[in-house]
Formats: sequence, structure tokens, C-alpha cells
Amino acid sequence: MSPKRLEDMYDAVIVGAGAAGLSAALGLLRSPEIEDLKAQGVDPKILVVSKLQPLRSHTGSAEGGIAASLGNVESDDWHWHYYDTIKGGDWLVDQDAARLLAEYAPETVINLERQGVAFSRTEDGHIAQRRFGGHTRDFGGEPVKRAAYAADRIGHQILHTLWQQCVAQGVEFAEEWYVTDLVLTEDGSQAAGIVALDTHAGKVQAIHARNVLIATGGAGRLFHTTSNSWDLTGDGMALALAAGLQLEDIEFVQFHPTGLAHTGILLSEAARAEGGVLRNADGEAFMERYAPEHKDLAARDVVSRSIMAEIDAGRGVADPKDPDGPKDCVWLDMTGIAPEHMAEALPQVVETIEQYANLDPAKDWVPIKPTAHYTMGGIPITTDGEVYRWNEPDNNNLANAHPEWLIDGVLPPSKAIGDRTVVNGLFAAGECSCVSVHGANRLGGNSLLDACLFGTRAGRTMAARITENPVDSPMGDDSADETLIEAVDQTKARRETELADLLAGNAGSDGDSDADALPADGNPYELMARLGSLMDRALAVRCNAESITTASEHLNTFRPAAEALRAHSNTAAFNQEITAIWEVRHLIELAGAVLAASGAREESRGAMYRTDHPERDDERFLAHSMIRLLSPEEQDRLRTAIAETSESEPEPSLTHHISWQPVHIADYPPKKREY
Amino acid sequence: MAEANNTTVTLQVHRFTPRAERAERAERARGGSPFARKSSPFGGGSDSAARRRPRGKQWVQEYTIPARPEDTVLDCLLAIKRTMDPTLAFRYSCGHGMCGSDAVSINGTPTLLCTASIRDWAKQPGTLPQVDDEGFRHIGDETADDATDIEAGDSANDGSLGVIELAPLPGFPPQRDLIADIDPMLNQIRKLTPYLEADGVLATTSEGKVDVFEYLQHPDQLAKYEMLSNCIACGVCEGSCPVFAGGDAFIGPAALIWSSRFINDSRDNKAMDRMDDIDTADGVAACQSVRACSRHCPRGIDVGEEMWQIVAKVRER
Repeated sequence: MSPKRLEDMYDAVIVGAGAAGLSAALGLLRSPEIEDLKAQGVDPKILVVSKLQPLRSHTGSAEGGIAASLGNVESDDWHWHYYDTIKGGDWLVDQDAARLLAEYAPETVINLERQGVAFSRTEDGHIAQRRFGGHTRDFGGEPVKRAAYAADRIGHQILHTLWQQCVAQGVEFAEEWYVTDLVLTEDGSQAAGIVALDTHAGKVQAIHARNVLIATGGAGRLFHTTSNSWDLTGDGMALALAAGLQLEDIEFVQFHPTGLAHTGILLSEAARAEGGVLRNADGEAFMERYAPEHKDLAARDVVSRSIMAEIDAGRGVADPKDPDGPKDCVWLDMTGIAPEHMAEALPQVVETIEQYANLDPAKDWVPIKPTAHYTMGGIPITTDGEVYRWNEPDNNNLANAHPEWLIDGVLPPSKAIGDRTVVNGLFAAGECSCVSVHGANRLGGNSLLDACLFGTRAGRTMAARITENPVDSPMGDDSADETLIEAVDQTKARRETELADLLAGNAGSDGDSDADALPADGNPYELMARLGSLMDRALAVRCNAESITTASEHLNTFRPAAEALRAHSNTAAFNQEITAIWEVRHLIELAGAVLAASGAREESRGAMYRTDHPERDDERFLAHSMIRLLSPEEQDRLRTAIAETSESEPEPSLTHHISWQPVHIADYPPKKREY
Repeated sequence: MAEANNTTVTLQVHRFTPRAERAERAERARGGSPFARKSSPFGGGSDSAARRRPRGKQWVQEYTIPARPEDTVLDCLLAIKRTMDPTLAFRYSCGHGMCGSDAVSINGTPTLLCTASIRDWAKQPGTLPQVDDEGFRHIGDETADDATDIEAGDSANDGSLGVIELAPLPGFPPQRDLIADIDPMLNQIRKLTPYLEADGVLATTSEGKVDVFEYLQHPDQLAKYEMLSNCIACGVCEGSCPVFAGGDAFIGPAALIWSSRFINDSRDNKAMDRMDDIDTADGVAACQSVRACSRHCPRGIDVGEEMWQIVAKVRER
């Protein structure tokens, strides 16, 4: 589905049609402000642009559950959920945001049900709930049944329900349009719109909008072994970087402990919640040693690291499909779960194992290995979904005023100060954003919650902005529109030129080239595979200064290769290679930021484990990293400065700028994190 | 995919490149609000997408690549994109049968690329059923599931696991290579009010407490529609249905499954209206109980049986 014709100006454009984007659209349209507006006969002009048909969004693959202290099965309290979220995130969580997450979780889940989600039920007809890693009672005590579930297909249920509600609301979609640019006004203070490739027509489109919301999901495809779909190429995050904006805590990538061996396909945490046990080559249930209390249901980063420790200690096993291959897996033993219960509670897990491993989980142990799963960091947003810039003052003044704060003569990130400046009309939600409820490690069941809850909130904030000056209002003021339109159209013109160039490049006779010949020039799919292997080696589950530096240097050779890519067919319609070229360029830029931010954080926290700095270091690093690309002018200035001083040590990054933002601590001061 | 193996598979891909002007035409042909009431709720007319004939270049291309029996057809196509031909176009996303992007015709049978293994689908040359332009196998051909024993084939064919024929999903206009336009199916789904209709009240929170709770639904009530709610709208059932392939004469099994999903949901209060909406010549009356729709549903829905159930329910009301 695509719009018949584009409006000259939209009230809001939403990029991405997963749980966050669709929730935002619904939050916006159902807000009292928009309902009033409609009653006055003014229709808001909204467009949802997505690179996939919405029902294909990766939200649909979420299996286990959505967390909320409904207390339907056993007593629960949202304060416990609030605490668990902070502890799970290793205290790198903004507590004002986590408080909202926990307090509004029951409302969010109940409303999903009231919109149609086919939740599993208790005998008395309430939403059923199960245990999930890191969710406890009494502030870190016994595990609690908090994850509301729909067998093991909660994401499918939520995605379809939200899409259905959007159909009911008459939301207009531009499907299979790939967004190439996020456009801001020249001074960067205001969103102007987006530029997108309509992949059906093969045409670049300018979409002018007074409000833009980015909800493009995660970036699992940075890695080779990932549970993420082929489309999670970090587009929204890369768009923000390219627009000169920052990314927050982008070094934190969660590796889900139980990817199905070398496929990376996820086996839900529910498999362990229902009684599955991890075993090493000796058959030992090793999680008892690493997390005596919560064992196999400790937080995901803890389990992933424990698995890697077993593999490193020589107690790993080979994937039975590749018996002579590396012993880089361990076993998931589900044989203790009653077969009838397994079929009822874990149908998707069973099907995946049967289909992709040819094993019977009721009888066979299943090979698993950690798989890149979730990006905790992303585009920084306020709790109302507004994208902001973090401005730091001159740290030298701060250092001079507080010499006692210095560590080794340097002001540590934890002491940094600054303030937030909101980018007017720019919003983000879901995995591509960072409101910082997940901190350094996300708890299971909190991602759908984050996407639905903060997506809805962002939609409402947009609604309030729209009603101030709706496009369709006869009394409206469109004097500012010209600047927006001009900015977007200029960018569109540049993209059009580039598209023509990509299509003309190395195109042969339209695809029917000799099928046996490998193209001598570059191939974006091959480049993406190499990037994934590079990032796996450098950052998967653990890293250190050496692995980061090696990968960064290697990454520099990928940039010219990506720039040289051209399409091999000159037909623009449905030319997937064009999209793949832009995707791999996005991934490479994002990989650079992830590596730089990982290098700057000299500690281990949550999902990030640095073998050269194995301890959490609150004194120095209890702070959010805020990374952005340096502009060419800034790079030149920096080069000049380095040349003048000549003994700047250590040499500053010539590509990225990192500043630090204090963590919002409200109710729970940092403690040691043990499971 | 293991690179170090010595077996291969040959994929015969029905390719199609649209003519440049087609994009413009398609753009004009699109549109028409799915919510606008027309004389027939299921639309139709000369601009119907299902009737647009593809214009452009069509040919069959063969790719032979290293593969293991347990690899999926999607694994093989991705390897082709990476190592041989980046221009080959096909939809794919999650890669494990949940997103519903990659329904195509494999050896003439609609199914998903990511759940189809080489072991199950590769056939030795000469045994492929012939598929005509509309994607139909002709009567008398053996079914695709009877793939010849690949072990036996190994020795005779230098490690070739056999041949797999790929074409876009039948019943939908091809757009490029294996990509077909499934908008007609989604538009038909949209026309049958595919959303829960209940009191519409949503909860709000005040001082940590919600003001309304979930609708109660007992596990046996859930069981009446849970399976139906698992439909991923991939189009496999539609591509398998000989009536649907005829165009607008039939709203199609997918839209009826979605309708049935809400009719059987105890929370929905529009069951009677929904049954009226499908009690039409192009609704339940068009289903001829061929039951081809059941064979390859990736979500395991017995579509044909569900059709039968909903037809009975509509008649009995």
C-alpha cells in the first residue's frame, strides 16, 4: 500500500511500523487533542513510512512475553518491577523513565488485551503470566510470574493487533519505502521531513513534515550471529548520526543466551522459564555455579557470559550439524519439561528446533550459543519521546573548580554535567531510541513494553504539538513550512543524483549476466556478511581495547568498499541491491560509533564485558555515553590542533565526539548486581 | 551455510524484470480507499490489481551452488545474492517462518522459502512437474512432496542434490523476479473490519492503579480462535486456491480466516454483522472445498477445515 499522492506537508510522519511506530500512530490519533481537532473538521495528515509491509515487522518475532505487575498469578507490585529494571540494567538506567515503565505497564498490557491481543489465560479468564529472567518479588528476592504471554507468540499477537487497530483508524501507510535521510532545518533545531526511496516505483520521494518520529528498530545485523531479521540494519540510528545527532549508550548490545546454534534463531527465554536447563560438554548444569539463586533464569548478560566462560574453559560442544566445527555451543536440556506442556506453552520453540536443527527437544539436548539480540542504546529521547541533544559545558572549568573530582588528572565521565536541548518536532521510540529504561542490559519482557508504552507517549506528545498548528487548519500558520520544504527538497535532489549514479554504475545487461561468474566488483550482501564477522570477533559478549582497535582499523577499509558499490541492474523498480547498498553504509557508520563508544567505556557493566576492565567502575563511568560524528570542519580543526600541540596523549578520535550524561538516580542508589 | 561441503543444488528461478514505465502505471492503478463503500464490498472493476498483466522481460535462470540437504531454499538464495547475482529479487525478513514475507511457488507448490529445506524439495532433473503461466501444475503430475530420494541421486550426479524450481506466488501479479503484489490479499482482509469490536474502553492509570481491567476470557473460549489468530498473512493458502486464482470472484481464504478469528472471539460483539459480510457470492459461497489451502500453511492452520466450519456457522445462524 502506498499513498496515491503525497501531501505537500504532513502533520507527522512516522518511520517504522513495528510496535513502537504503530503505537505512536494510535497514541496520536486517540489523543483527546486530535479527537477535538477532528470534531472541528480538521483532519491530521499522518503518514507511516516503513521499509516492510507492517505485518512483516520484527516485533512479530518476539516470543516470550511483556512484563507488567498485573499480579494475576501471584502477588506483584510495580515498585518491584521498577527495581528489577534498574538492577537488570546495572544501574545505568534513568530511574524517572524506569518508574514510568513499571507504573504504566499494567495499563499498557491491559489495553493491548482490550484491543484484541489473544493472551494466554488463567483458569479464571485473566491474562496468564510466567516467570522471566531478572523479574523478582520484594526487590530482588524470589522469581515472580510477571511476563504476560500468548503461548510463545506475544510479538506476533501485538504486531497484528496494533496493525488491525491502525486499519480501524484509517492510518495511511507508505509500505516498502526505504528512508534514506532524516532532514532537519539548517540550524539543526527543527525536523523538516524525510527523504525515502519508494522501492516499488524506484523513485526518490521528498516527504515534508512538521513532526517526524523514528521507530526503525534495532541493529542486530551489525553481527553475523543474530536473532534479528535481515532488515534490522540500524537505519534510524544511522539516520540520526548522519543528521548530526547523538546516540546514547550505543556500546550496549545484548546477546541473548539461547540462539539456536549457528543459525542465531532465537529460542525464547520461556524455554528456560518453563524448566529448560543449560548444560556443558560434561552434562553439568553449570548455571548453578554462576548464579546460585536464579540459575538458568539470571539476567541475560549473566547467562551469556557464563556460557562463553564454559566454552572458553573447553567445556563447549560442537553444533551436531557441523560435528567437526568449533566447540562454541552448549546444550539446552528441555527433556525435563512434560511433552504435553511443552507443546502447549512453547509451540514456537519446539517448531524452530524441529525445523532448523532436526532435533526433538523432548528427547534431544539442543545446541545453543549467544546471539546478538537487542541494542539498549539509541537515539536519546525524553520520557515524552522528544529527541534531544546533550550539551556539555567546557569541562576545563569544571575540572578547575573541582580538582578533587579528577582521576589521573582527568575529569571522569561520571562527573560530567550539561543540559538537554530538544530538537523541535523530532521524536523517536522503540529499540532505535534510548529513553534509558534498559541501561546496560535489558530485562526480558521489557522491550515490547518500552515500544508500546513510550511509543504511545511519543504519539501523544506529537498530538499536542500538532494541535498548536495543524496543517489542515484554515487558521493555520504555514509561514515556517517553506524552510522545511526547501531543506527536504535539496536533500531529495542529492539522493536522486546518487540513485542515478548507483543505477548507472556497473550495470550490465539488466541482470541476465552469466550466472556462473562472480561479479568482480563489490557486492553489498557480501560486504554485510564480512562486517558481521568483524563485529562478532570484536564485540560479541566480550571485548577489550585490542579487539576494539583492531576492528576499528579494519572497519576503515570497509568504507571505501561501501562507497564504491554500484547496482548490477539498472532497473530502478524493486531493485533490492540499491537498498542493500544504503543499508550496508548505514551499518558501517553505526559500527564505527559502537566501536568508538565501546572503546571509551573502560569498565564492564551489564551486557558489556571488557576483559581488560572486568569490574564495574561507578566512580568513573556511572554515566551515559553520548556519541556523534564529527563534522568535516570539526575534523579539520582537530587535526590542526593536534599538529600544533603534537603531544596530545592519548590521541583524540578524529571521527567521533563523545560526551557524558549523568544517570538519573531517583530512588535506588547503585548496588552490586548479583543473581 | 557451510562453505566446505561438496554437494550442490540447482535453482531454476523464473525471473521477471518490469518495464520502466510499469512503475508509473502501477502507481496510478494503486489507491482507491479500501474503506470506501462500493456496490460490492469486495471491490473489483477493471483497475483490480489481480487483473493487471505483467509487462516486461521474463526468463528462467539456473544457479548451481554448494548446499547441504538441511539448508533452506532461503539460505541458498541469500548465498546466490552474496556470491553470484546480487540482482535476484525476493522478499525475506525474519528467516524463520514468522514474518510471512517469503511465500513463493516451489516446484509449483506455494510455500515459504525459509521453511523449505533442500532435502524436502530438491528433485532429480526430469521429474519436475510442469507449471504453466498461471502457476498451475497440470493434472496427473506427481506432487512436489514425492521428491526422489536424494541419497540415491548423490552418486549418480556428482554430488548434485537435485533441482528446485522457483516462481512467484501464483494468484498475484508478479512485480519483479520472485516478488509478487500481495496487496489484493491485504485489501480483501482490510475490507472485512479486521479488528476487535468491543466496548472500546481503554484503561488509564492513576496513582499506580488502573481504572479498568482486561476482558475476561476462559482458556476454552481462547481455544476457539487462538489457532486462527496465528495467521501471518503470507498468502500461501491464497496461492494454493484455484478459486482465488480466478481473481475477484473470491475474497479468499486469508480474509475469511481473519473474519472467522473475530467471529469466534468471545470478546467481539459484531459476530452477526461479520457473518452477514461474508455471506455473499464472493464470500463463503465461493469456497469450493478444494482444501488445497490446508496443505502448506506455515502456521499449521487447517485452512480448509476452518473454511468448512465458518461456512457451516454462517449457514446455521
